[in-house]
Formats: sequence, C-alpha cells, structure tokens
Amino acid sequence: MALPRPGVTSPAPTASSDSRLLVQAQAGGREAREELARRMRGPAYVLALQLVGNREDALDVAQDALLRLFVHLGRVAPDRPLRPWLFAIVRNRARDLWRRRSARPNESLDARPDLSAHLVAQAGDPEQETVRHQLARRVWSAIGGLSRSHREILVLRDFHDLTYAEIAGILDIPLGTVMSRLHAARSALRGRLEADGGRHV
Amino acid sequence: MSEQCGRGFDPALLSGYLDGALTQADEQRVRIHLEDCCTCRAQVEQMRRFREVIMSTEFAVPPDDQWSERPRSAASRLSLGAGWIIVAVWALALGGYAAWEVWTSDEPLAGKLIVFGGWTGFGLLFLGVLLDRLKAMKTDRYREVEK
Repeated sequence: MALPRPGVTSPAPTASSDSRLLVQAQAGGREAREELARRMRGPAYVLALQLVGNREDALDVAQDALLRLFVHLGRVAPDRPLRPWLFAIVRNRARDLWRRRSARPNESLDARPDLSAHLVAQAGDPEQETVRHQLARRVWSAIGGLSRSHREILVLRDFHDLTYAEIAGILDIPLGTVMSRLHAARSALRGRLEADGGRHV
Repeated sequence: MSEQCGRGFDPALLSGYLDGALTQADEQRVRIHLEDCCTCRAQVEQMRRFREVIMSTEFAVPPDDQWSERPRSAASRLSLGAGWIIVAVWALALGGYAAWEVWTSDEPLAGKLIVFGGWTGFGLLFLGVLLDRLKAMKTDRYREVEK
C-alpha cells in the first residue's frame, strides 16, 4: 500500500533517477558517483542505525557498506533498484558487527536500543507536531525493544517501504516467510505498545 | 486480535492485505472475512496506523563532512601499485650495487663488516616497518578510501 514517504532525504530520489546515475557512475562519471553517494548516505545510515542502535557504529556500518557498494559498483545491474542492494550490504555488515561484539561482552551492542532518541522534529503546526512526535517516539521506542529479526523486517517494510521480494532478497529468506515474519513483527510491536499503555495509538 | 477470532483464518494474511501483496483470491478471502470480523478489521486499522506513524518519521543523519566513503579511482590504485613496485626494484638495485661496491673496494675487512652491519640493521628495520604497514593495509577497511 503506497503511502506518502517523507523519508530521510528530501526530495526523495526516484528509482529511475538512481538508475541513470548508476549507469553514469559505472561509466566512470565522478560527479554521478558523488551524487549517488550523497543520495545513498541517508538511507544506509538510517537502516544501520535501526539495526545497530547507536550513531557511531551506524556511521561505521554505513560507510563500510557504501565503500563496498562503490568498489563493486560494476556488478550492480542498472535495471534493478540500487537501494535493496545497498541495504543487503548494510544488513550483512550490521550482522557481522553483532557477531564480533557478542564475542566481547564489554563492547556488545545494546539488544534493545532506544531508537526514539534519534528522531528529529518536523516542521509544521507546533501543537500537532508535538503530538505526532510523542507518538512517533513511543512507536520507535517499542520498535527498539523488538527482537533483531522482527526489527529488521519491520523497518525494511514499514519505514524503507521495500517490497516483499526485495525484503526476501535482503534477508535471504523465502518470499512466503516474509509475510508471516512481518506479521509476527507487527503483532509483537502491537503487543509492546499495548503493554506500554498505547492501545489508543 | 485476529489470533482469537477463532475462524481458522491465517492472521498473516492481514499483513499481506495491508501491503497489497496477496493474490487476487487471497485478497478476496480477506475482504470477505473482514466484512464480518470486527477484531481483524480493528487489527488491520491499527497496523495501518502504525505504518503511517513509522513512515512519517525522520531520523537525524550525520552531515556530509563526516562521510569519507569515496573509493580510490582505478588510476589512483594503479599508480600506487606501480609506485610501490618501482620503489622496491630501485631500492634492491641500489642496495645491491652499493653492497657490490663496498665488498670489492680496498677497505679492510673490519670496515666492510661495520658498513654491512649498519646497512643490514637499517634494512631489517625498514623491512619490519614495511611488513607492518602491509599487514595494516590488508586489514584496514578503509584502504580503498581517498584520505
């Protein structure tokens, strides 16, 4: 279901313009490469943040993912959307980080990060914005409390607006599993919000 | 909650319905079910509301000057690789020539050993640093990044 997407970059670039830039970047265009990097930074960072939960590690994961994307840019098919490719790298880098950190208890990542701390207020009617922001903080706080597998599938679908097929590719799971896992994640989110007194959300 | 609606209905279909990801037959099935199941209807509405809230949020992103993911160009990598090879060949040739000159000179043996000892020490120190740098380069995630 297509909803208007304010996103993290404004205005949101279209897949077709990404594709044009990709072709130019693959042909060696420096400006196209720079522009592509600028466009991909926001989404890569935000997904990394949603997965690892803190700014420093998210920046590391996102930069590493972008670097890998550009080193292997020639392998990306120009007729396919670039974001799922990048997101798959981000997700794999985040998983690597989780594994590395779990071996070192002192540096392990927060399993239930408070994602609401990273939200920014938007322009608009101050009263409405305050209500909207508080609601968003509650929802993102609850998302931070979900298990990693629930959190990742939920943000890929409901925040980054990827299709089921793209999500299946990123998470390397059968297409049929996407719907059931996503529903389990949404139910878990609902459960957390209800437990938190957010029945009226 | 649809899990409690007790009609043998797969609740995951509600998510598929919300996302427009169902086959025509399944979508029809959900539509019919929703007509007389207010529990599932409420659940779909709540999931839709969550999705709207999630999609309408924005996260703070670090400014451009904190990013440095620009990879080295092919020309940069090539010139760096070629530069290392030329410097290594030059150092070997120069070192070999100098060693040959010292060894065949009329210097007494003690003098030759002092010169060789000093240069061998410097050579080993240089080799140690070089090996450390090469190892660091291999494990540096940002070695492809223009600094």
